[in-house]
Amino acid sequence: MTKSFSQNDRLIRLYTFALRLYPTHFREAYAPSMRQTLSDALKDSSLSRRTLIPLVLRDLITSLAKEHLTMLRDTFARPSLVFNALVLTALSSGLALALYSIPQQVLRQGANDPQIAMAGDLAAKLEQGIAPAVAVPAASVDMARSLSPFVIVYDDQGHPLASQAELDGKAPAPPAGVFDNVRQHGEARISWQPVLGREHGVRIAAVIQRVQGINGVQDGFVLAGRNMREVESREAQVEQMAGLTWIGMLGVILLGTILFGWYTRPRSAGESME
Amino acid sequence: MYPQWIYIQFMATGTVFATPLTPAVFSILLSLAEGEKHGYLIMKDARSPQGGGIQMGPGTLYGSLERMRRDGLVEESGSSDDERRRYYRLSNLGHAALAAELNRLDAAVTSARSLGLLPHGGQS
Repeated sequence: MTKSFSQNDRLIRLYTFALRLYPTHFREAYAPSMRQTLSDALKDSSLSRRTLIPLVLRDLITSLAKEHLTMLRDTFARPSLVFNALVLTALSSGLALALYSIPQQVLRQGANDPQIAMAGDLAAKLEQGIAPAVAVPAASVDMARSLSPFVIVYDDQGHPLASQAELDGKAPAPPAGVFDNVRQHGEARISWQPVLGREHGVRIAAVIQRVQGINGVQDGFVLAGRNMREVESREAQVEQMAGLTWIGMLGVILLGTILFGWYTRPRSAGESME
Repeated sequence: MYPQWIYIQFMATGTVFATPLTPAVFSILLSLAEGEKHGYLIMKDARSPQGGGIQMGPGTLYGSLERMRRDGLVEESGSSDDERRRYYRLSNLGHAALAAELNRLDAAVTSARSLGLLPHGGQS
């Protein structure tokens, strides 16, 4: 009898220790009752230890998992909390997108600045009757390496008449569709990736304008361009900063949601009575 | 619009309780249908064949009771002097949920009988 009591006490002590593994609010509310229930079960002669102990062990494992999951769900999966977090996430995503896209647009638009003036000046010279070979500066610009702006004059079919720039020793031309667009609108501002037999990985900020009366006889086009390498490098920096800002804002939202969820979590009967 | 056994809406609490109930919840409701009881008595009833034959430990029992209390199915009716034994009883919502579950099971048993899966008038 004494031995049985002592075994019961030991089991209850072990169980009491194991009860510490439950979430705090559940433990505070129910640990004494759970201990009492086990004590009642141990005193019940109709229930053998061989049945009870595995049952309690299984129950401990499954209910621990379940109560922790319930605690997480009750604390963090409340609709109001999730809704607030989603709204804040959407706002911060929009803000991060603006932080990226506004400077990116400013940088990209700014990349056209000298070309706009250069194309206009060159078109004016050609329309005054100055020959393309004279109007286009002689200094050759390697489009793949140099960051200097350059100009190219094309005939009405889009064939180069005079070029300040080269790529693999030739003057490249934009696709025919670009010239069609310029014929309709008078000007186009594009990001152009020249292809001369192969991809060069070069991107050019190009301004193309329609010109009338080149050499006094034919219409054509002038293109002013500049390698976008530096601008793209700055865009990449802006993207990186906006990305880091976005991740930081998401982290703050996550942390805030966790803290807010924890402090406003639903309390159990035991807690609310305290 | 919906069959009664799918949703029971109680205007008093505004709670919607869906059946089928989990075995543990059903056994607890069935046990408390006799009157108020404390934890171990509920566990013992649930273990018996008449109570559903559910092997339930203290963790599952009090976890279920906590959720049932929050859902308004049971109420705490008191505790022992040392507050270690808590007594529970069915609420009106609990009675109705139990009745709906029993109706659902009864319909299933009737259907099984008509299909010849259970003997007519026999113990199911």
